[in-house]
Amino acid sequence: MSSDASARKDPSGLAGQPGGLTAWGRLVAWGPYRALADFTTASPRRQFVILAAFPILWVLTQHLGPMLQMLRVSLTDAYPVAQGVEQSFTLDNYLRFFGDRIFWMPFFRTLAFAGVFTFCTLILTYPVAYFLARHVSRRNQMLMLLLLLVPFWVGEIVRTYAIMILLGNTGAVNLVLKWLGLIDRPIPFMYTSFSMGVGIVYLTALYMLLPLYSALEKLPKSYNEAAADLGAGAWTRFRRVTLPLTLEGISSGCTLVFLISTGFYATPVLLGGPSTTVFAETIAGFFHVAGDEWPTGAAFATIMFLAALLITGVFQRVMRGLRKGDTG
Amino acid sequence: MIRGNRIFLSCAYWAFVLYVFVPLILMVMMGFKDSKFIGFPIRSWTLDWYSGVFADAEVLSTFGYSIAIAVLSTIASVVVGTWIAVLLERSRFKGWGVMFGLTVLPALVPGIISAIAFRIYARYLGIEPGMGAIIWAHAVHNVPFVVLVVMARLSTLPKSQIEAARDLGADPLVAFLRITLPYLVPAILGASIFCLLLSFDDFVRSFFLGGYDPTLPVLIFAKLKSGMSPEINAIATVALVLTAAIGIWAERFTRRANKDTN
Amino acid sequence: MTKLTLNRRRFMGTAAMTGVALASPAYLRRANAAGDEVNIWTYNDFVPEAFKKQFEADTGIKVNVRLVDDQGKQFNLLAAEAPNPTVDIMTVAGHRFLQFIDSELLAPLDTDRLSNWGNINPTFSESDWATINGNKWGAPILSGMEVLSYNTDLVTAEEAQSWDTLFSEKYKGQTAYIIQDMMSIVMLMKGYDGNMVAYMDDPDKAAAIVEEAKQFLIEKKPLVRKYYDSGAEFQQMMVNQDIALGHSWNGPAAALINDGFPLAMTIPREGSYGFVYTFNIANNAPNADNAYAFLDAILASPEIGASMTKASGFISTYKGASEYLTDLERKSTSFSEEELANLQFFRAEANELKYGLVDPAVEAIKAA
Repeated sequence: MSSDASARKDPSGLAGQPGGLTAWGRLVAWGPYRALADFTTASPRRQFVILAAFPILWVLTQHLGPMLQMLRVSLTDAYPVAQGVEQSFTLDNYLRFFGDRIFWMPFFRTLAFAGVFTFCTLILTYPVAYFLARHVSRRNQMLMLLLLLVPFWVGEIVRTYAIMILLGNTGAVNLVLKWLGLIDRPIPFMYTSFSMGVGIVYLTALYMLLPLYSALEKLPKSYNEAAADLGAGAWTRFRRVTLPLTLEGISSGCTLVFLISTGFYATPVLLGGPSTTVFAETIAGFFHVAGDEWPTGAAFATIMFLAALLITGVFQRVMRGLRKGDTG
Repeated sequence: MIRGNRIFLSCAYWAFVLYVFVPLILMVMMGFKDSKFIGFPIRSWTLDWYSGVFADAEVLSTFGYSIAIAVLSTIASVVVGTWIAVLLERSRFKGWGVMFGLTVLPALVPGIISAIAFRIYARYLGIEPGMGAIIWAHAVHNVPFVVLVVMARLSTLPKSQIEAARDLGADPLVAFLRITLPYLVPAILGASIFCLLLSFDDFVRSFFLGGYDPTLPVLIFAKLKSGMSPEINAIATVALVLTAAIGIWAERFTRRANKDTN
Repeated sequence: MTKLTLNRRRFMGTAAMTGVALASPAYLRRANAAGDEVNIWTYNDFVPEAFKKQFEADTGIKVNVRLVDDQGKQFNLLAAEAPNPTVDIMTVAGHRFLQFIDSELLAPLDTDRLSNWGNINPTFSESDWATINGNKWGAPILSGMEVLSYNTDLVTAEEAQSWDTLFSEKYKGQTAYIIQDMMSIVMLMKGYDGNMVAYMDDPDKAAAIVEEAKQFLIEKKPLVRKYYDSGAEFQQMMVNQDIALGHSWNGPAAALINDGFPLAMTIPREGSYGFVYTFNIANNAPNADNAYAFLDAILASPEIGASMTKASGFISTYKGASEYLTDLERKSTSFSEEELANLQFFRAEANELKYGLVDPAVEAIKAA
């Protein structure tokens, strides 16, 4: 926080503390450094190449490499290959997905669930982030934010079992309702899309909260005051000022949460019911059950990946359009 | 009107705190249950599960192992992720879209697929399974999250600041270190928390890339095989307290360091 | 600014050092193990800690146990490591042998090198599933079976005598089962061979049977609370009273009984399937000699078998192991003669045919 503030106070960056000036000044004046700096910045082109070389190398070898391996597996007829067996390439694994509607159901269900849960997470955490960023003194902000982060240090499985003993027939919620005399028989919360939602939002809230908070936190209070001076009501102020200016945070939070929730495996499997099978479970099935199904699993994973990519791409574009529409 | 808003928002916050903490309280509480299974009713209580955690050398070394992996992989992710974010946010070049797509790729792949892909690729590269392989996989997997968070912050950095610095004779590297990097600190800290969490919580990559020493989630999965016993709750609680203590210490440490310089 | 950087660096350094220090026992162990060792993949509690210490002291061979939680994961991991695995001994269920053998991941077991082979009850060591291609592939250690488990406060012993109760309107929304396993049992309920060995020459008949079982489970889908995967889930559903009865393996049920939960289990009259966990030696195992030494040692005494039963709830394959169990432990790990007469073992011969049909059926039931 404080370095953020100091950067703002000190726009030139070089006129900072006297100690800093000498240290940096000395570095800049140092012969070999000068030579290096001159060499690297000789032309914009060279500067770009030096900036870009490492990232490009990294994503090609580290990000693309494993995926190409997977793609290769998805196009083979058997994997792992037993010694002495000829491996041949085929598109059958992809055709299998389109050939059978039992695979479409979990596929579209996963996308729909991820969308709904992302929206729920947004609705639940926006007021929380807003409260933290706008109504809490700076001193307490960090503390209250950290308070919310504590539970996220507990592993997915342990938290998921905690939700089971919260929502089960003899779980905490049913015990309290019974004690209050509101119910005679326990309400079966568990193994429904409700319990699954409670579990998934619990896991994703953090990934929404942090981007929203950082977007709201840097929003100057004066904007709202100016709008109020112009006679705008609370709702109008929120809709016309706050919301458009936090679209960036909403967009990155939603993208993150959507991506993470399409990949969830353990939580939907543990908390869902007989009719909430997600695609990750279908894919995992191909890796669990029999060895020669790896190629199909890999093909299905590729399909899932392309779909998630398409959706987030469209979403980002829509959000970008909204932002442009509001500011320009 | 403003007052009503405030009350609504503070209720929303505390309701959220309740939602987040009730399962946690249940978890801590079940660690004291005198039975082999968690759940209600609790007929008698015991301290054995918690004292057992501290007596179990395997569990303790697993804590350390997981923390070391989380810290080292986070450092790698933050360095690489920030670099990529600066490239993507500062330059518009041919193939920008492709580069962005490739950057977020690891975050898009479902866990089990990414784990197996990493495993096959690790063998192809000759990386032995073990601590190094887990750190590598976690670092690669977490880079996209750093990039997204840092890019969001970077896009709000006024260009005028950099230009002013350049006018004063700072070369790009100095301008980056003196202006951009300090401005990015909150984003980098936020991203680090993400990465630490993702790494500390990861089961499937750790399982496929690990050697004979389990990380904490791998140990918990294996123990789960013989039932969800209060022992697992006790382990998770101790891990929580330990990491929270380290977090608070780190926060106070940096705060004091900040105070010293201001 | 300089000071801040320095402090931060010191902080990072301290943090990293703390991590290393905390983790150091692990490194020390590894460093010491560089010489003579044996690497084992197995489930939690399958290698008793006391036995492991004794074996290490007696032989000087370091035992590295890597905990696994699933057959499929072991297969995937081993397949990714082949043909030069890091592991010596895995824990494969008998009916999963073929999959491992076909991918050339297992080495045939030379029983002549195991002087204590005779300590295993021949029911397990000489059973029909144990010999494939004329070879033995693993040393049986623990046995499990598919049982009907029920909460004795809610379900009568009479009702639990038949799998039909699992599908009755009376217990709507209070049942759970593992869907893959249930497919085999439904075939048995309908009077067919759930191992499908009988239909190896008649794929059409096999397909019709699987279709019938599939339609049955789809029809009964509104009655079930949960298709579950792991024993821990089953136990939690019982404790939370989300279910009153369900299909389960005997191990998780036994653990609940031993904890005093009002639970009982039966092998219903329509019959059920059993399976055996075995220790297997990997093809190209790096320390094969040590692996044989380990296997021979763990088979040495029924007491070791009993301690494996106590920890896991599965039934020991050792002759005379039950003498070392308490009454409650014995109760939770034994069945009457007439119940056992209904039990068959899973067979692997027709697995390709069977799972080629069953796996898509399972997906279809989930999607229905």
